[in-house]
This record gives sequence, structure tokens and C-alpha cells, in this order.
Amino acid sequence: MIDLMVNGQARRVDADPDMPLLWALRDMLGLTGTKYGCGIAQCGACTVHVDGAPTRSCQTRIGDLAGRRITTIEGLHPEGQHPLQQAWVAAQVPQCGFCQSGQIMSAAALLAENRRPSDADIDAAMAGNICRCGTYPRIRAAIHDAAAKA
Amino acid sequence: MDGMIERRTLLATGAAALVVPLAPASAQQAPPPVITAAAANSPNGGVGQVTAFLRIAPDGRVTFASPVTEMGQGTHTSHAMIVADELDVPLAQVTVVAGQPEPALRLQPVNEMYSGASFGIRFWHDRIRRACAQARGALVQAAAERLGVAADTLSTAEGRVTHAASNRSVPYAELVEAASRLPLAETPRIKPAAERRVTGRAAPRMDIPAKTNGSAIYGHDIRLPNMAYAVARLSPVFGAELDGFDRASISAIRGIIDVVALKNGVAVVAENSWAAMEGAKRITIRFKPTPEQNLDSAELSRRLRAGLEGGPATRPRNDGDVDAALSGAARVVEATYEVPFLAHAPMETENATVHIQGDKVEVWASTQHQDWCARDAARVAGVPRENVVIHTPMTGGGFGRRLHTEVVEQATTVAKAINRPVKLIWTREDEFAQSYWRPAFAAKLRAAVDAEGKVTGLAIRAAGQSVMGDYRPALFAGPLRGNDPFALQSIADTRRYDFGAFRAEWHRVEAAPKVWLWRSVGGSQMCFFLESFLDEVAAATRKDPYALRRELLAKDARALRVLDTAAQRGGWQSAPPAGRHRGIAFVDLYDSLVAQVAEVSVTGNEVRVHKVSVVIDCGDVVNPDSVEAQMQGSVIWGLSSMALEGVTLKDGAAEQRNFDTYPILRIGSAPAVDVTIIRSGERTGGVGEPGVPPVAPAVCNAIFAATGRRVRSLPLASQGLNV
Ligand code: FES
Ligand code: FES
Repeated sequence: MIDLMVNGQARRVDADPDMPLLWALRDMLGLTGTKYGCGIAQCGACTVHVDGAPTRSCQTRIGDLAGRRITTIEGLHPEGQHPLQQAWVAAQVPQCGFCQSGQIMSAAALLAENRRPSDADIDAAMAGNICRCGTYPRIRAAIHDAAAKA
Repeated sequence: MDGMIERRTLLATGAAALVVPLAPASAQQAPPPVITAAAANSPNGGVGQVTAFLRIAPDGRVTFASPVTEMGQGTHTSHAMIVADELDVPLAQVTVVAGQPEPALRLQPVNEMYSGASFGIRFWHDRIRRACAQARGALVQAAAERLGVAADTLSTAEGRVTHAASNRSVPYAELVEAASRLPLAETPRIKPAAERRVTGRAAPRMDIPAKTNGSAIYGHDIRLPNMAYAVARLSPVFGAELDGFDRASISAIRGIIDVVALKNGVAVVAENSWAAMEGAKRITIRFKPTPEQNLDSAELSRRLRAGLEGGPATRPRNDGDVDAALSGAARVVEATYEVPFLAHAPMETENATVHIQGDKVEVWASTQHQDWCARDAARVAGVPRENVVIHTPMTGGGFGRRLHTEVVEQATTVAKAINRPVKLIWTREDEFAQSYWRPAFAAKLRAAVDAEGKVTGLAIRAAGQSVMGDYRPALFAGPLRGNDPFALQSIADTRRYDFGAFRAEWHRVEAAPKVWLWRSVGGSQMCFFLESFLDEVAAATRKDPYALRRELLAKDARALRVLDTAAQRGGWQSAPPAGRHRGIAFVDLYDSLVAQVAEVSVTGNEVRVHKVSVVIDCGDVVNPDSVEAQMQGSVIWGLSSMALEGVTLKDGAAEQRNFDTYPILRIGSAPAVDVTIIRSGERTGGVGEPGVPPVAPAVCNAIFAATGRRVRSLPLASQGLNV
């Protein structure tokens, strides 16, 4: 049994400590907003926060997470109204949407430590998140928009 | 029942009206759709059984079963907009769900429900409008009878029929029952453009909020009671069959349930995805040898190049005497180009969930081809086709990839073997290895130029594998008699440019890797060949590349307007900012015209694409914001592929298996994209694909302007150029 603190709740999963957090979230806790895209920390679709830091859950063993705070897209804001989520809707960012949980989690970590990111800051913070649909121009605009309103 | 009143006659007739005139007799005589509203309001939105096409509930809500998959282009919202507009109901009262394969939702003449060829709006727009106009006409007629007035004294708005003279109005919901017994007009009055109030203006997409909070349900996310998780391990060599595997090699992994043999690999079944994935990775497995297991990229390239020099070819265009033009030319410009295999790499890998209960099968698949899913599941499960229900959840990118349904066949095989519902997903590694790629292609182009520098003839010979041969082999070998309309797409099937004499021919190359429709299909390579070559002709004749294209398009006012607008938006006539250079390109694909101007700087081997100005004339526009999004996405897709992407072969298999070796463009390299939409009112064109082809030549032409270096092989990375 592994104890995890996910979105502010204590959760217990019966799984191998080597299981990546991604699969514990998706299969055992039913939090399917976090996505599998590559499994090798190349695409960012699986990004969550661990103690506030953007983390690729496909490369994070659940056995290493005792006492750590895990936040997924479902827990970013209780009503899904984080400033970035609002900006994402206002800018009509997602296309297929499959990458967008990871994009938003990476952007949220950026804004948490940098309230007015420059384009270069955005490029650096978001470099690990692929969008195959090519929503990058709108992602950039939405991050600036959320930052301006914060 | 969910309380929604079924309006069988109205709906069935309205649906039948969607059958396209091109349909073969058998399709036209198909029975009207059976309306089973039972599971219509499934909590997952898209994941719900709906066989009705259009329904009006007592509360006035309209539910429309869309014939296409929502893959991120916003097509479902556009369909809702068309319904709201033509039916005169508020947009917020229209719900769009993914339809079931049934006659009204099938594309003709093939009589299949699928999403491809940028058909979402260009094929369906007029048909949805007509059905809604018929429904509105019947509602008005029912109101006329109820109010005892003439139908032409009534008007419709906001889901009500109003008789202004007596200040009376009736909501649609109260008229549906009577309307459903009325005959539908064969030629209903469809709103002219001037009366349209919903379409043509940007509307927010209905699918977006759920895509910002993790609640959108994709194929990967399906979870059923007692469901097992399976992960495939497939042969990386196309056509290599399973020889054997050692179950004991993964027995130490906790949670493994079974290993099921597939044609070209195995499915490792477990109690969770990770155990299945570890098992798939670690299992000892052997594949049978194949004749092409030593194929590599050098050999493939040799076949392509040989195909340019000789061998049989189809020749869909042979206008005038090209040979005479070439032999009589003051100058002949000639160049050879080559492009690699490309993977679709949608963010969501292939997957399907299958539940077999007795002789009934339910399939959840992020698919572009519902009918082939049903066909494959029925065949493997051994049940009648009509016993299969297809649920189409949200789809993590399509791009043509999901017209292929092998994964449904595999998931059904597993579900049958283990007697449990199962979700089968492919690893990213198998997704790359078995993507059914955009074919590698080569082409040689020759242009005849007279003493005044005028183009008097142009010949292109292309060589590559046949997409149609793998996609629809029976059609290719039968009615098409070996002609592949995708092979020379966007140049043999359009007549925009006037080259004088013109010849286009294609030699089919055979190779084991499967090739497939990849966003913009043949246009993806043909536009690169032609538009790069026109730049070479411009350079050889010392003409401005834009001016040369104007000359060749002189008789085509619509194309000129697109080209001129792009030149204007891209600032062609003014000097670019210091260090920047421009390239231009044009395409006519799927009834839309697109021109692009790329603004690029080159420092050493570093290429920076600063801005791409895109102009599209797609005729009619439903949701301009979706058109803009598609143009932005298309530019980034096109830039990613031309700069970075390519599958190379070694030992018969792809050398690229994940995003570390098959890079996708990232945000820091994404240019600004300036989009202009021309509303010409012409026939509605496609939007998802036509924005892709001009990117590669526009950028390469800009690189030439910057450096004098002509890029004739892609991707740029293979030429030592970094984006
Ligand atoms: S799935 Fe973790 S980075 Fe791609
Ligand atoms: S929206 Fe489709 S991958 Fe980003």
C-alpha cells in the first residue's frame, strides 16, 4: 500500500512502488485528465505538480512520493476556474486538447513563480510540452492574458 | 427513456434527406435510421449511443448526431452553428453528439461514416442546412394549421414560430409532433447568406471548457467495470508476423493477466496499464522473417530515384505538347526533389475499448472511421454488423491516422480471448513504428522557358508508394485501374496555373511499409515540389517569385486575389526588416485556396521563421475562429514536418520510435501566424488540411532568398539546418 496526497486528499493505492504516478492517477484513482503521450519525459502530456513543481508523472515512481503534495489538472482549482483555465477558454486554445492538461499545469507552475513572464520565459517553461495540433500561438497569448489579469 | 420525445417520422425523413444524390441505389433504399434514444444522454457527452440525427425535446433542446468525429477542429461546434442558424434556435440550445454509423451519416458514394478529406464542413454544410430547412418548413406548416393562418405569414426565431399580425407564437417543442406527420419539402427554402445570423461569426467551441479541466473523456480514458488493460507489442517491421513469445519472461510482473497473440505481435493484458506496458516492453518475442526485413532508407531512395528515370507511370495530365515545348525552349530549368516518410504522431496513441456481451459488442474508439470499426469488431467477434455499437469519445488528434482501425480488430481479439471488457492501447513506440506513414516521394520537374522568359511548358514525374493502394486496395486495383488521385494531388487535379503545355505523371514504387493519408495527403509533397520549383524558375529567369506566380495565374481572378492578399499581408512589396527574407507559395486543395508568405532569417545553420502570413479562401465560413485556429495549427504542423520530421528505415523498421528521435516543433520555434480569411462565397472548401502544403515551400523559398541555397530534400535538419 502506498499513501499519496493528491489534490489535497489522502489516497491509498495498492500498487508496486515502481509504478509511475501517471498510471496510479489514471488507472487506480480515476484521474484521467493527466495523459500518456510518450512515457519518456519528452512530451509533457503527463505534467502534474509535486510540491508545486512541474513534474512528468510518467517518470515519477509512486514509491518516492511519501509526504509530497501532488496536484493534477482536476485539482488545480476547485471549479476549474484558475486564471489560466479562464484564459484558455477565452483564447480558445485547445484543438484536440490531449496535450492541454499538461500545458496548463506547466503554465501554472510558471505563473506561480513568475507573475509577468516574458516570451523567453514562456519558451523556457513550456519547452517540455509538445502540442501536435500547433496551439502554441494561443498558449502564449493565454499565458500573457492570465498574467496581465492576475 | 430519458423523457425526450421521439419524433420518428420527422427525424427519419429529415435524416433520409441527408442521403446524397450520388449514392448508389442500395444506399438510397437503405431503411430509415432506427431511433433509439435510450442512451442518448450518456454522462460522457460524446460517449453515448445515439442513432437519431436531429431531435427536439419538450424543453426545446435540439440534439444533433454529427456524422464526423470531433478531432479538435471544432467541427461539432460548427455543425451546431449550422443547425442553430438554419433551424432558428438559440445556439446554446443545440447539443451535438457523435453519431452512430447509419445511412444518413454516411459519405457517398462509398457509403461509409468517416471523417476525412476535410469533409466536415465542405461536404456536410449544405446537407445539414437542407435537413434543418426541411424541419423548419414542417414546423412552420404545423404552426400554420394550429393557428389557422397561412404559412407565409409566419416567421421563425429563437425556437418559436410567430404570427406577428396576431401577436401569437408557438414554441417548436409544441409543434414537433404535428410536424412529424407532415411531408417534408423536396426543395426547402434554405437561408441565403444575408439572412444567416449564427454562421459566419466567431462562436466559442463547445468542447473547449472540458479540455481545460481534465474532464474531457478520450479513448485512453474509457474505464468500464471489470475492465482489463492491455498494451500491444508489435513487430517494428511491416508485414512481419508473430512467430512466438515466452509468457514466462514476464511472469514476475505483478498484475499480469494474460498474453494474447495478435497477427503481428501480442497484447499483454494486466490489471493496470503500467503492468501491461512493462510486460509489453519486457516480453521475449519473435517475429517471422519477411522479404523486406533488410530494407533501409538508402534502398528506398534508390527505388524512388529509379522511378524518376523509367518504368511504368500513370499520366493523369498531358495538356498540349510538353516535349515540343521542352525541345523548342530557349532554356530548360530542371530540378529533382525528395521527401521522407512522415508519421502522424497524434498526441493520443492508438487505442480501443471493447466489451463483448453475448452476441452484442460495444466499441469505444477515438476513430475517424466508425464503419470500419464496426466492420472489424463484428468480423472478429463473429456477430452481425448491426450488433455492434460504436462510441466515439474525444479524439487526441486524427490527421488521417485514425482512418485506420487495426487497433479495434486487436482489442476485439483480446476481449474475446479473455472474456472481459478490455482497453487496448499502443505505446508511443509502436505508434511510430506502425503509423502507416505519409509516403516518401521523389519528383523531377522540368520547365520550358522561351526567349522572353515566359514558361511555355512544365513536366513533372513523381515516384512514390500509393496511398490509395494501401487505403482502399479494391478501389485502387478496380475502378481506379491503378490511378492514385493522391499521388499528384494539388497539381494534377487543379487548373489554376497556366503553364502552357503540362504533363504530370506518377510511377508507383513498391515497398513493405504501409503508407496512408496524412494531413493534406498528396498536397503535402506535391506543393513542396511545385512551389519550390517555381521559385527556381523565377530565379533562373530573374523574376520576382510573386510576379512569376501572378503571370501564371493571370486568368484566375479568385487565385490572384488570394495570392495578392498574401503578398500584401506579408509585406512583399516593402523591404523586410534587416536580416529577414521572404518566400511565397500557393496551393489549391480540397476546394480551398491558400497562399502564404514566410518571413525568415538565417544565421549560419540556424533558421528562424519569424512570421507566416496565411490567406485562405474557403468559400463560405461557418466559424471564423476555427478557421483561424486551423491555419495557425497548419502552419506549425507544416513547419514541424519540413524542419524536423522524417522516418528513416534500417533493417526494415523505423529508426524513430519516440519524440526523442522524432522531434516535434516546440513553442520556442513557433512563428507568429497572421491569418486572413477571404469570404468569396464560392463553394465551401476544406479547412483542416489546405493550410499545410504551402509552409514547406514558402520557408524554403525564403531560405533561398536569404542564402542562395536551394533546399531540395527535407527535412531541413537532414540538410544541416536547424529551426
Ligand atoms: S508522457 Fe510523460 S512526458 Fe510524455
Ligand atoms: S491540442 Fe492537440 S496536441 Fe495540443
